[in-house]
Amino acid sequence: MTLIVRFHSYFKDLTGCAHTQENVSGGTTLEQFFQALCQRFPKLQPMRKSTLMAVGVEYQPADYVLKEGDEVSFFPPVQGG
Amino acid sequence: MKRQLTITSEPVDEKALLAHRSISPMMGAAIYFLGVVRGTEGADAIASIDYEAFQPMVQHQFGLLFDQMEKRWPLESVRVVHRIGPVKVNEPSLWVEVVAPHRAEAFAACQWLIDEMKRVVPIWKKPLTA
Repeated sequence: MTLIVRFHSYFKDLTGCAHTQENVSGGTTLEQFFQALCQRFPKLQPMRKSTLMAVGVEYQPADYVLKEGDEVSFFPPVQGG
Repeated sequence: MKRQLTITSEPVDEKALLAHRSISPMMGAAIYFLGVVRGTEGADAIASIDYEAFQPMVQHQFGLLFDQMEKRWPLESVRVVHRIGPVKVNEPSLWVEVVAPHRAEAFAACQWLIDEMKRVVPIWKKPLTA
């Protein structure tokens, strides 16, 4: 299945893009998806511990199983205010 | 609980916000907090902060926080304005108002909202030196 993935804040600089489309197989978790993305965008790997993950507008845990149509976002800790 | 969230690239218009303040006779406390861009980030002098927001998620996450506030405190209203884009030093980036029956819940709710916002609302800042 094809997923849209978005990067926010300085993750855009680390990946060189604000969003991309990726093909993943059924049963893939957010963690597995992130690790796969790190092969393509190796600068993301050191950020893993602080990376926040969302699907749509909801935070999701690393073991969330991705579904067709999911829009995934990866970003660093938030800093509003 | 009335709720109002404004994410804007325009300056925070405090006069207009105060002019639209509404307090019913049962309420005894209206407090507001103004977050202002400091002139330093760590040890470095800066000229402004560029705020970036993932807006659909900002709206949703603030909505969830407002839901929790409504359950925890007997609030009449909450209003939030958060700037996006470049905000110069000394300019407000955040304006929060809470109206409640008593000051204790007004202060507590306002503090809680700002703390939680900094934990879950997807807004980021990038200091700019010029």
